[in-house]
Amino acid sequence: MTAYIIPVIFLAVFAFAAYKKVKIYDEFSAGVAEAVKFTLSLIPCLAAIFMMCEAFEVSGLSDGLTKLLSPVFGALGIPPELTKLVLIKPFSGSGSLAYLTEVIEKHGADSYITRCACVCFGSSETVFYISAVYFAGLKNKKIAAPIVIVLISTFLTTVLACLLCRVM
Amino acid sequence: MNVIFTVIIIASLAVITVAAPDKLLTVLMGGAERSLQTAFSLFCIYALWMGLSRLAEKSGFSRGAARALKPLTKRVFRTENARANEFIAMNVACNLLGVGGAATPFAVKAVQELENDKNTFAQKLLFLINATSIQLIPSTVIALRTSANSAAPADIFLPSLICTVFSTAVAVTLFLITDKFRRRRR
Repeated sequence: MTAYIIPVIFLAVFAFAAYKKVKIYDEFSAGVAEAVKFTLSLIPCLAAIFMMCEAFEVSGLSDGLTKLLSPVFGALGIPPELTKLVLIKPFSGSGSLAYLTEVIEKHGADSYITRCACVCFGSSETVFYISAVYFAGLKNKKIAAPIVIVLISTFLTTVLACLLCRVM
Repeated sequence: MNVIFTVIIIASLAVITVAAPDKLLTVLMGGAERSLQTAFSLFCIYALWMGLSRLAEKSGFSRGAARALKPLTKRVFRTENARANEFIAMNVACNLLGVGGAATPFAVKAVQELENDKNTFAQKLLFLINATSIQLIPSTVIALRTSANSAAPADIFLPSLICTVFSTAVAVTLFLITDKFRRRRR
């Protein structure tokens, strides 16, 4: 069922544009031109953030933080295996996806740990990446408060997710 | 962002300098390389969705969608800007359908449009909603579990839905509270 949603949207938009006599080739390429400009404007932010993430990972600080926080997370009902996922999700979508795959392989697809990890992964986003994308071209860069709010609510959600997976 | 970046990068670089000074350059260049790889795959997503969104915009397709959602978006985001409303409506629609890749370009256009009105309230609110994820169907994890031979790959659907609603609700509540405080201080 869900497989049809995207193709139908595409077809509908193209057909409707043709019906409205929009110059489809011209306008579509103009849209892609916007995408080129937009992607280019992202690269500086992405480069800086990824350098930070790599350095954070390789320096061992992220592992250190994982070890340090595991007992704290454990007290809140978050299994120690998930500490790393919770920590890297805000920074890296591909990194956390790789870690999620690892968790699934190690603990099986239907274990409590895997289900927790899946719910946490599915209900959170890569906050720092999104903030970079959304606010790339703006002068007003006072976005610390919203980022902190998102991190707090993501963390509370993780606690809730681990609780829900126990009973559901 | 500046503070977070400064703290993390200086701490990490200091540790690398002490522990493995020869690795420092490769690590940073690795990060730069990853940024280009990401930009590449992002471009593929944006190219098709921004092309499509332009068609939707020019043909009046998205105006129709926006009109249906407008009473809601207008009140929630406190904006009269018609174009911004249109982009916000498309962003919300894409999110609910689980087409995250399409949602982002609309959000970015909305944010830029709101910049003209200096409507930082709406910009931040839109960011919060998108950064706490409001997708209805967690398709990525369901696909992952299916390929790992799960007995019931979709049994996380309900907890996921509760969690994603919860996280957005918490974020929006916190934001409205802090926003009120900020206004009162002025």
